[in-house]
Amino acid sequence: MDKHYCICIGRMFCSGGRNIAALVAERLGIKVYDRDLLKKAAQNTGFSEEFFAEADEEKTRKGLRALFMNHLSSNGLSSNYLSNESIFNMQSDAIRHIHEQEDCVFIGRCSDYVLRESDRLLNVFISARTDDRVARVCRHADEGMTPSKALSLIEDIDRKRASYYNYFTGRKWGDSANYDICLNSTVLGFDKCADIIVELAKEKLGI
Amino acid sequence: MAELKTPQELGTEKIGKLLIRYAVPAMIAMLASSLYNIVDRAFIGHGVGAMALSGLAVTFPLMNLSAALGSMVGVGSGTMISLKLGQKDNESAQKLFGNSVTMNIIIGVSFGLLSLIFINPILRLFGATDVTIGYAREYMTIILIGNAFTHLYLGINCILRAAGHPNKAMVATIGTVLLNTLLDYLFIMVFKWGIKGAAIATVISQVLAFVWQCIQLSDKSELIHLQRGIYRLRKDLVKNIITIGLSPCLMNAAACFVVLLINRGLLKYGSDVAIGAYSIVNSIGFLIVMMVMGFNQAMQPIAGYNYGARQYDRVLRVLYLTMFFGTCVTTLGFAIAEFLPDMCIRIFTDDPELTAIARVGMRLTFLIFPLVGSQMVSGNFFQSIGMPGKSILMSLSRQLLLLIPFLLILPRFYGINGIWYSMPASDILSVILGFSLLIPQIRKLKKQS
Repeated sequence: MDKHYCICIGRMFCSGGRNIAALVAERLGIKVYDRDLLKKAAQNTGFSEEFFAEADEEKTRKGLRALFMNHLSSNGLSSNYLSNESIFNMQSDAIRHIHEQEDCVFIGRCSDYVLRESDRLLNVFISARTDDRVARVCRHADEGMTPSKALSLIEDIDRKRASYYNYFTGRKWGDSANYDICLNSTVLGFDKCADIIVELAKEKLGI
Repeated sequence: MAELKTPQELGTEKIGKLLIRYAVPAMIAMLASSLYNIVDRAFIGHGVGAMALSGLAVTFPLMNLSAALGSMVGVGSGTMISLKLGQKDNESAQKLFGNSVTMNIIIGVSFGLLSLIFINPILRLFGATDVTIGYAREYMTIILIGNAFTHLYLGINCILRAAGHPNKAMVATIGTVLLNTLLDYLFIMVFKWGIKGAAIATVISQVLAFVWQCIQLSDKSELIHLQRGIYRLRKDLVKNIITIGLSPCLMNAAACFVVLLINRGLLKYGSDVAIGAYSIVNSIGFLIVMMVMGFNQAMQPIAGYNYGARQYDRVLRVLYLTMFFGTCVTTLGFAIAEFLPDMCIRIFTDDPELTAIARVGMRLTFLIFPLVGSQMVSGNFFQSIGMPGKSILMSLSRQLLLLIPFLLILPRFYGINGIWYSMPASDILSVILGFSLLIPQIRKLKKQS
């Protein structure tokens, strides 16, 4: 049995995944790794953080640039440490490293796939109703955000997250078969979601 | 790209030492593939004749196109497999391997069949005449029948490299070259089979290499091995393989288009013999370019790692050193082409007319080569430091974007020499473009370090 447990939270954009993760972590007294993960990966490899930020889940673009980025990994004779694949591998090493060191919550970044062999793992997916997410975007964004803009932003980021996840894991993002539990934060509210996750974690992970 | 773990030595070891160590294996692989070309052409030139060499040359665009499709599957599946192996996801890696085998068979067979059906119009399009089409068809028919094996052999080699067996891939490459040389000698010189002999030798050596690869891959303890049930195509895997492989595929397909233009130009303003002369010049050029590529392959991990680790002084040092080596190689090529052209040409032919045209072509084509080395290195440098756009622009500029206008315009004024002038002309412009992109980048790196 692994020494440390971990909770991996996948989430739709603006579904409150990060708030829920924070609540869960607070109740269990552990740390949340979101962007900090990139910092950790940078420390481990000696690479600067910006490379990890550049290749982060919402940044990979479709179209011409994606085609160009593929050019980086395009030969079997030598390695390119700045390709998306290489950066992903370094980031996954950081995830595994953290998992060996401490109990924690990971947000996104295919952590559920990276740690799939672990026996102390709880996989969660947070969704929310679209109108609820649109309202949240409008509430948090600067002025000038309209519901229609918010909707296209949501669709765009979800699509990028999905393509990032599907590409690197070969699974389907948001497919309930990948997760131990899928929660709708519009229906349950953040607190209730966190309650359920904590309860389940205690039962399943032997905390 | 076997292991993506970041070896610390890339950040600390002496640059020169690193560069040499990484360059040697890359160089051997590169040399092997260009020697293959030279050997085939040498046997055909001497054993069959000057016209056969021209017949062979009109098949190049078709061979390039086939190689482009092969590189799509090879690069795409190789990249995905090393990604999956890096995540210890062996099951997915196996499925990718199986899918790539199936894709290679489908593409290889259908490309072979389609080309066989339309062989005459295709060869005419690529510059075949009544004199050369017989040779071209005789050669290509056999190559196309074995096309699926060519794809399988090259595809599996990519996968062997991705799966951490670059040495096995190298053995297959070198083995094919040696076997092909031996069989070429036997079929062309001893059995007098003509150009057909060269094609049979190629197909046999690739089939045998493929069999050897299969034996290597039947070891069940290996991460990647032959297994039932992995060959059924899966839509998502096929899509990923194609997306990743598209960029190298398009680059290779572009090369096919340029060769087509050159062949047709040489035919229009010259003769069949000129096409044969181009194939000689091209073989020598390819050898030199491949050697520079060997250094480029070696620079990539070193520059990339140090760029990531923000050790910009080391990044610059590896750039300069690679440019130096690259320039040495291309200058050597220049010197041989300008001062000893006949020595090179004699490898391929004794025909006086062909020799005369090839001599002119060689002297003109390699005119700017001392500068081309640094252009090629800087193009690859951008790739190494994660700027694929500039890298693609630079490699396309020399071989395509700047070359095509010259190929279309210059022959109108200078006839056949206009075709040869096009190459140094596009070289000059692309060297200027290269430096205008590279110098600001160097300044930026200096400021940051």
